[in-house]
Amino acid sequence: MANENEFTGADILLKALKDQEVDTIFGYPGGAVLPIYDAIFGQNFLKHVLVRQEAGAVHAAEGYARSSGKVGVLLVTSGPGVTNVVTGLTDALMDSIPIVCISGQVPSHLIGTDAFQECDTTGITRPCTKHNYLVKDVSKLSETIHEAFKIASSGRPGPVLIDIPKDVQFAKSKYISKKDISFREHRIKAGSKNVDKNFVEELVNHIKKSERPIFYVGGGCLNSGHEASQELIKLVNKTNIPITTTLHGLGCFPGENKSSLGMLGMHGNYEANLAMNKCDLMINVGARFDDRVTGRLDAFSPDSIKFHIDIDQSSINKNVKVNFHTNTDIALTLKEINSFIDSNSIDFGDKDYNNWWGQINEWRKKECLHYEQGDEVIKPQHAISRLYELTKQKDTFVTTEVGQHQMWAAQYYKFSKPNRWITSGGLGTMGFGMPAAVGAQMANPDSLVIDIAGEASFLMNIQEIATAVQYKLPIKIFILNNEYMGMVRQWQELLHGSRYSESYVDALPDFKKLAESFNAVGVRAKNISELDDTINEMISIDRPVIADIWVDKKENCFPMIPSGAAHHEMLLSKYDKENPENQEKGKVLV
Amino acid sequence: MSSTSVYPTPINAFKQSKRSVLSVIVDNEPGILARIVGLFSGRGYNIEALNVTVVDVKKNLSRITIETLGEEKVISQIIAQLEKLVPVHSATNLANLSESYEAEICLIKIEFENDEQDQKILNFADIYRSRTVQKRQNIVVYEISGTSERINKFLDDLDTIGGIKVELVRSGPIGLGI
Repeated sequence: MANENEFTGADILLKALKDQEVDTIFGYPGGAVLPIYDAIFGQNFLKHVLVRQEAGAVHAAEGYARSSGKVGVLLVTSGPGVTNVVTGLTDALMDSIPIVCISGQVPSHLIGTDAFQECDTTGITRPCTKHNYLVKDVSKLSETIHEAFKIASSGRPGPVLIDIPKDVQFAKSKYISKKDISFREHRIKAGSKNVDKNFVEELVNHIKKSERPIFYVGGGCLNSGHEASQELIKLVNKTNIPITTTLHGLGCFPGENKSSLGMLGMHGNYEANLAMNKCDLMINVGARFDDRVTGRLDAFSPDSIKFHIDIDQSSINKNVKVNFHTNTDIALTLKEINSFIDSNSIDFGDKDYNNWWGQINEWRKKECLHYEQGDEVIKPQHAISRLYELTKQKDTFVTTEVGQHQMWAAQYYKFSKPNRWITSGGLGTMGFGMPAAVGAQMANPDSLVIDIAGEASFLMNIQEIATAVQYKLPIKIFILNNEYMGMVRQWQELLHGSRYSESYVDALPDFKKLAESFNAVGVRAKNISELDDTINEMISIDRPVIADIWVDKKENCFPMIPSGAAHHEMLLSKYDKENPENQEKGKVLV
Repeated sequence: MSSTSVYPTPINAFKQSKRSVLSVIVDNEPGILARIVGLFSGRGYNIEALNVTVVDVKKNLSRITIETLGEEKVISQIIAQLEKLVPVHSATNLANLSESYEAEICLIKIEFENDEQDQKILNFADIYRSRTVQKRQNIVVYEISGTSERINKFLDDLDTIGGIKVELVRSGPIGLGI
């Protein structure tokens, strides 16, 4: 008997997505998700973006999530469909990006029989998701989807996967709406809503006492929302404390503000790393003491009292032992710190840290990001600087691939707002940037979205150009083309006697013709005189553009803390020589 | 270890060690054990012993007891990682509780050849208050419970009897805080 209160699993999924205010889904059809695709066919609230390979769907969902602050959603079929997203799920887990992945599974009765396009999806994705589900009973589908969205976006965000066997997509049940679900608190792990007053008081007391304080801000600040960034700016302005951010923290604090020391870490600024090394008070706001940031652990900021605000308990004392920590949301905590300072009329005016700023300004004089642009070959650093100058007045989002170009982008492109900078940090996924740009452009149709790319990374997900063309997404792919896997080559030069084993990318396509063959637009700059015009042309075209920027093939990314070295042992240029003992130790690290 | 046995121990043989017993309350759902075991193997922690059973049918809860080795810092990190898993309600290091009890159960099948061996086995079995599960001509099966240390001691003592064949199964330690 047909019951009008009952819906198929596929329809329940669509209802739940609507309930969750999802308007965009990235996906690729296949046998085990056909009932869902059939449901998508007959509706109009949800825009489906057909990618060209599932890896593109997951990175697009990441780009969508990062640039919008919403949960990114993707839909893939069983077997190869879902194994293709394993990299992206891991990427989202490492970088705390909220996404929900719906995967089809072979019908329940075939599970375990090595059926066509069957794989152990929950088994394969267990270590690379925040949580995952295999839904065997259609009556559990509604609450599972709502819980998945809640988990993906709560506490430290991350990817959640829901595997739905094909028979469950056909089976019928009632739909339970989001408002009728009561979540079980222990499963959501949203972190405490109560700010630790003790922590706040201790911190303010230590700020008053300290002579060399520093803020060290990471992606957690981004995930805490724009309010966190606003409170951070207030706090920095009030205290005049210098601030450095991680790769993912870029944009949480305006990069051009005088208090900003820029990015720290392996390719961070000299002044940022030295300040971390010499500070007496470190205030970590949502960063996780990653190895790319700390350098050699036993020499990491030896003389500082360390405060750590992080919603993720497991990030506390994992790599670096801290003196004070709190597991509460960053926006709430920073707000409380600001209001504590205001209500107690604490004035930092007389405590301008003049000596400390004097020391920092000495370090700044090293001009660690200085480069010599000649009058012929384009320096990659210069290409990014010009791109920044020519786009900074626009509403711009920047994604990147992974490698030298990514670090140059982080160094030379300045961000004034959070969520404008979308990059693969933790996992370092080549091929991330272009599909991420597709996602960012879907979420921000009127903005300028640029993928700063290397030619090697770009080739890894090049098929997604077709997606951009199909959906008329005017993304710009700005390739710093040096014909090398530049970062691999740089490490081979520094650590392996310049034996450039397999790092030269031979037989590259003609990117201009390639763009044209996809019905996109190709532009090219071969030398410095063509650079600005090419960038301006790229920006002015309202279609997907591939800009092939020929840059100096041998340029390396500096400054650099070699693996195994400490913050104060930075190399500023290729003329700096590394301590040979560190070099041997560094070789075995990543 | 602050854990004490629910059974009296003949010799106080507790040693200071890096051994920890973790008690984890979880939703009893498919894949939960795989999540926990995967967390340990993926992050390079050791599992020395593991015990999983439903303890509350109504609320659908299982208690997982894990014996592991590591410095305090590592154990804290393991607990933080366990508590991040969605179906986990709580993870506790029993050593951190002011009062906790632990016990393990062991079934031992012993094959002996002569009366002298039989007497010695009986003697040890009596000292350790093991329960006879089954006895035939030259085979005896005992059940012994107590702390893992106590069972180890019993097995060490049996080892001093030459010429017997021992086969055994152990539950791994389980524990409870008060």
